[in-house]
Amino acid sequence: MDITQLLDAARHGHPLTSAARHGRPLTVADRGRPLASAARRGRPLTVAATALAATLLLSACGGGAATPGAEKAAAADPTSGANASGNLTICGGKDASGIYKGTAAAFSKENPKITAKYTEIGATTDEARTQAVQRLEGKSTECDIFMLDVIWTSEFASQGWLLDQTKLVESNKDRLIPSTVETTKYKERYWGSPFFTNAGLIYYAKGKVAKPETWTQLYAEAAKSAGNGYVYQGKQYEGLTVNFLELLYSAGGEVLDDKGEVKVDSPQTRKVLDFMAEGLKRGSADRAVLTYNEDATRLAYESGTFGYERNWPHVYRLLNATKLAGTFDVAPLPSFDGTSKASGVLGGWNLGISAHSTNPGAAVSFINFATTPDWQKHVAMDYSQAPVNEAAYSDPEVLAKMPFAKELLASVKGSKPRPISPVYPQISQAIHKNVYAVLSGTASTDEAVKKMAEEIKSAKATF
Amino acid sequence: MTIKTLFPGRGRAGDPSEGDVRGQGQAGVGPSGTRRLGSRGTGDSRTNARDRAERRLAVRMTAPSLILMALVAAVPIGYALWLSLNQYSVRTAGLSRFVGLDNYINALTGPAWWAAFGQTFLFAALSVSLELVLGTAMAVLLNLAFKGRALLRTVVLLPYAIVTVVSAITWETMFQPNLGLVTNVLSALGLPGGDVVWLGEHGYAMAVIVLADVWKTTPFAALIILAGLQVIPRETYEAAELDGSSKWQTFVHITLPLLRPAIVLAAIFRTMDALRVFDLPFVLTRGANGTETMSMLAYTQLRENRLVGEGSALSILTFLTVMAVSIVYIRFAGGNIRDVAKGER
Repeated sequence: MDITQLLDAARHGHPLTSAARHGRPLTVADRGRPLASAARRGRPLTVAATALAATLLLSACGGGAATPGAEKAAAADPTSGANASGNLTICGGKDASGIYKGTAAAFSKENPKITAKYTEIGATTDEARTQAVQRLEGKSTECDIFMLDVIWTSEFASQGWLLDQTKLVESNKDRLIPSTVETTKYKERYWGSPFFTNAGLIYYAKGKVAKPETWTQLYAEAAKSAGNGYVYQGKQYEGLTVNFLELLYSAGGEVLDDKGEVKVDSPQTRKVLDFMAEGLKRGSADRAVLTYNEDATRLAYESGTFGYERNWPHVYRLLNATKLAGTFDVAPLPSFDGTSKASGVLGGWNLGISAHSTNPGAAVSFINFATTPDWQKHVAMDYSQAPVNEAAYSDPEVLAKMPFAKELLASVKGSKPRPISPVYPQISQAIHKNVYAVLSGTASTDEAVKKMAEEIKSAKATF
Repeated sequence: MTIKTLFPGRGRAGDPSEGDVRGQGQAGVGPSGTRRLGSRGTGDSRTNARDRAERRLAVRMTAPSLILMALVAAVPIGYALWLSLNQYSVRTAGLSRFVGLDNYINALTGPAWWAAFGQTFLFAALSVSLELVLGTAMAVLLNLAFKGRALLRTVVLLPYAIVTVVSAITWETMFQPNLGLVTNVLSALGLPGGDVVWLGEHGYAMAVIVLADVWKTTPFAALIILAGLQVIPRETYEAAELDGSSKWQTFVHITLPLLRPAIVLAAIFRTMDALRVFDLPFVLTRGANGTETMSMLAYTQLRENRLVGEGSALSILTFLTVMAVSIVYIRFAGGNIRDVAKGER
């Protein structure tokens, strides 16, 4: 969350922009003539009426016919990459680690017939999504590949914005970690190829607190003394959805089942919510987590007054640059109480081929390159991202740069995607709002669970 | 208001005070209006004919600005209105259907709108009243003659010049539990509030948002009120002094009544802004702890959920709410502005 994102919000939250996104562009030429002549005749009310009528008429035309959605999407041909040539544009958010530009350069070097370049279309994740949506709705051919946050995949696929990559993914499947492939699935087909992944980790102060084996043990240990506390992302936003789902999945619960039915009103959900609320009351977690996002969590932990921290892998390097270097260790996300399997929630980025790409062959070639075991090693070594190829995690060169690779792999392999649905943003809101209500003490577990299930059901019924 | 202002011949054009309130809005009608007033009451047909001709001229002269206004104001509002009467599918690309007032009915019968409505008004009432009280005090101080007054007048405007998002992030940092400046200072002094999670607690979170808003926009209110102070004639004060009025009496019986139009003006501006508040709660709480405002609700539906119809309906509802409040202001407090405007002539 930063300024650009907010300015962007201020700009685009305005109805005019959403109008422009959804209707035919309004041109001055369309309206200038009737208005001018009416004005010349000197009938003020006619002028106003004409203007309004023109507006309404034009917007009426804007509805348009339905474009083919996921059902009629074209497929990417896995063999088309071999003889591809020309230009290739990859679009996505700010390239903070340099991985996108680096991969494009390395790819172009290995495939001299293709010139790949990376275009930053937004400074933040949210802004990049808006920019991608606007390009796709406008059928822009600017971008051949879009970097897709794992949670966008089903929404983009349902709109018919992506090429069906099922065959391509099948042909690359043996080198990809299965859980990461699942994040690109919508309606039994694959709409993207995983590029790099992400999974939560537990950072803990070794010597001060015990290694986390289960969530119940972690919470009990954290409550033992003030310096043992656990910090996580409890602010009312996407991060809280992730933190809650990690506990829910590890307790064997789910939000939607394989058929997409809402299963969130379950004993597991109630157990996890009670557990989290109890943790705040007993002091396992500091109440301040209700205001923490990832960065605030990290900063709080860096003060050295806590025992455990849940965060993403990038924190490892940052923590090592503080006075805490050498005093902490990393563990994969644990199981809930030992009776269920350890699990978590996958993050990361997938490569989606735009339905309006003019060079899908080159895009296929790029995806094949980016997912090779060799390049996946660079993903970890050069850019500190979690590879989608399992072998990379045990490579000695990778281990030298990423000593927690084994723990990260365990987290990645056990993790699952967040609920797969084109209305995921609404589902996530239903989760984090109601979880927050329980944590902050404004709703009982029972009320919140019922409301959560209800809101997810009505979200799923969205037209 | 647009039609009446632009075509005074069709409205209560005979009332000379009508136009004064709106000021620059009808600059183009000025000459014809003045002349008509001069001839009012003679009632012969020649004047009427000339009157009509002038009215037509006025229409022709205002037509360009009218078209421009239609393009930049009426078209987007009309379009948003149209969007709000439809549903646009998030599941199937390009699909839309006309649903009439369904989006409005759903919004008005659900709890989310009314919760946001109440919270937004609470925020507006708290922040605007504080800003007016502090703004008046600040204006009175800045109006005193002292060395460096010009410099100070510029300096107090600084908070207003800072981007709201930036100041919101600063406030967020200051109120952070354990690490924040405010919480640390309160703990060090042994005052209550040091161990409160300000942004994670109902009531406290609203207090921080109000504080951040008051800090930022009080100088703006002060500036408007200061302008009002400077037009109060010095003779009035001299007369009061001769009559032996105390400082406080002078303030209550002379300054405040004469300052009322400026205060009302500041109140209108600030209330309209406060009712549309978005950036402060978005950064500070993301709408948690009962701080979701009407604008945030519309944003979530429009941007995050891409529910164009529902989001537009919420935007229109917000727009109508703000408009209704400004009409109430102008209706009940605006008469005061008119009187003063007339008195100054």
